[in-house]
Amino acid sequence: MNQLNNGFTIFLSLLVEAMPFLLLGVLFSSVLLLFVDERKLVERMPRNPLLGALVGSMIGFVFPVCECGNVPVARRLLMQGVPTPVAIGFLLAAPTINPIVIWATWSAFRDQPEIVVLRVVFSLSIATILGFVFSSQKDLSPIVQPAIARYLKFNPPAKPASKKRGNRYQIEQQATAPSLLQSGTYILGGKAGFSTRIETNLIEANTPNSSTRKPLADKLRLLVDNSIQELRELGAVMIIGSAIAAAIQVLAPRDLILSLGAGPISSIVTMLILAVVVSICSTVDSFFALSFASTFSTGSLLAFLVFGPMIDIKSVGLMLSIFKPRTIFYLFVIAAQLTFLFTLFINLHVL
Amino acid sequence: MTNPKPKSIIPNRLISWLDVLAITAWGILLLRYWLTGKLNLLIHPNYFGLVIVTGIILIFVGCLKAQELWRRRQRDIVPNTQHISLFAPGWGSCLLLTAAILGFIITPQVFASDKALQRGVTTDLLGTSRIKPQAFRATVRPEERSLVDWVRTLNVYPEPDSYTGQKVKVQGFVIHPPDLGKKYLFLARFVLSCCAADAYPVGLPVKLEKNQDRYSPDTWLEVEGQMITEEVGGKRQLTIAANSLKKIPQPQNPYSY
Repeated sequence: MNQLNNGFTIFLSLLVEAMPFLLLGVLFSSVLLLFVDERKLVERMPRNPLLGALVGSMIGFVFPVCECGNVPVARRLLMQGVPTPVAIGFLLAAPTINPIVIWATWSAFRDQPEIVVLRVVFSLSIATILGFVFSSQKDLSPIVQPAIARYLKFNPPAKPASKKRGNRYQIEQQATAPSLLQSGTYILGGKAGFSTRIETNLIEANTPNSSTRKPLADKLRLLVDNSIQELRELGAVMIIGSAIAAAIQVLAPRDLILSLGAGPISSIVTMLILAVVVSICSTVDSFFALSFASTFSTGSLLAFLVFGPMIDIKSVGLMLSIFKPRTIFYLFVIAAQLTFLFTLFINLHVL
Repeated sequence: MTNPKPKSIIPNRLISWLDVLAITAWGILLLRYWLTGKLNLLIHPNYFGLVIVTGIILIFVGCLKAQELWRRRQRDIVPNTQHISLFAPGWGSCLLLTAAILGFIITPQVFASDKALQRGVTTDLLGTSRIKPQAFRATVRPEERSLVDWVRTLNVYPEPDSYTGQKVKVQGFVIHPPDLGKKYLFLARFVLSCCAADAYPVGLPVKLEKNQDRYSPDTWLEVEGQMITEEVGGKRQLTIAANSLKKIPQPQNPYSY
């Protein structure tokens, strides 16, 4: 009984600590959804693969979305003709390279600031490397879902040479198109009968345009609606994650945790698996990792914090709306290997 | 889209109300923990402000949505059917609401010796590796150091002999680790660096003049005495030789930071 109450106290403390950061992330992305004109950003993306991957990885700092919000955004980025390295860099890094997540990580690991710094550095490096690797794939059709490939085929992105005309075309076409930033929303449009017109109609019904014409009251209502939707979705994932963390703390035999957590390789592997299984949102995952801080090696905590936001069960589900399973498998394997190598280096040489 | 089937409206409206309920309940729960003083059992005081503001915003958002739903009750509500995803409709809010209700029913409790033993408090001062000397002050007189100050000091300069003879006056709760002899008890405090999930116990062994069974686990004690070096659990270790042990009530805020 006592143990149950201990477990419940841990569960509650995780939730109470994480709730402000979750709310902040949700409010921030909802505000951006209404007030940021992302199309200007799309136009300015560099075409150089490496630079593009790096810039893409850092857009997250301007668009603080977690891993549920970044998938729809990355999808639209791709469909609007942003170079692949930019989109992939954004997809993988945005959940970590954003001010709210960095703040949350710092709150959790105040006494280990190296974790905060290395989390950013590793995520940025891995996302940039992966973005760069995928830049060699010029034709997107083998890697993306047929629906997106078809869309890109019939709506080729504007070439830099005909940029002016292309821009006007795009702007005309997008006059009724939805905002890019739909964090937390996922539009089901990948079926065979997919067409942009249908999708536009679908989204129009519920998505605020980034136009400033709407009265403030309407904007506020949309902001509240979007926040509630995200709170409901992400809050539920957070509750499941916290429950898993609390259960492991209370139920897992201490000897097992100690033996797994102390080994330089076993600790990383354990945390990588945990990152995939737990699927906890990046704004709050540092608090989850914190509950392993006294028993697990620093490298393994980093592995959890770097790999979790990139790929987990939940985001794989969402990523299937963009990529073919084979692409996700490659992303998964390369990201896991890079994370493993980086964090193993930390375990063996630094701390 | 514009003419949704009538029968689909009711569940959707119910789900919207469920959202309102779940979010408002969480707002109230957070404020309740603050007002009843339970917040310090859950998180570090640095984050109290954040939690309070979050509670207020959640209630505000819940009220805004409730007001809107109430005003629109005569009209059709077209929910965002395209919105995804991970859970079937209503599941997310149900989970949130259930967790909030459990929070209202079950009171969080202070961690005690069972938790400390489970976390692995032994005489080798597990957890000291995480204690950075942020609160370390060289000028503190030995008898003014708290238990956590002692462990921090020891962490900076771990030679037990250098403290021999210094006066001690510390408070903590009693743990009886199985590998500690009958002549000793372990006096511990939980340290919180962020939230209860990372609370870890630190402390020092206390050498008793009489048998330790007088003090059952979880008893809060104020121990006065002086430092000695003892062979405890097969290891040379700084130990408090107790002159007096006084039972005290559990402090208002049982955790150290």
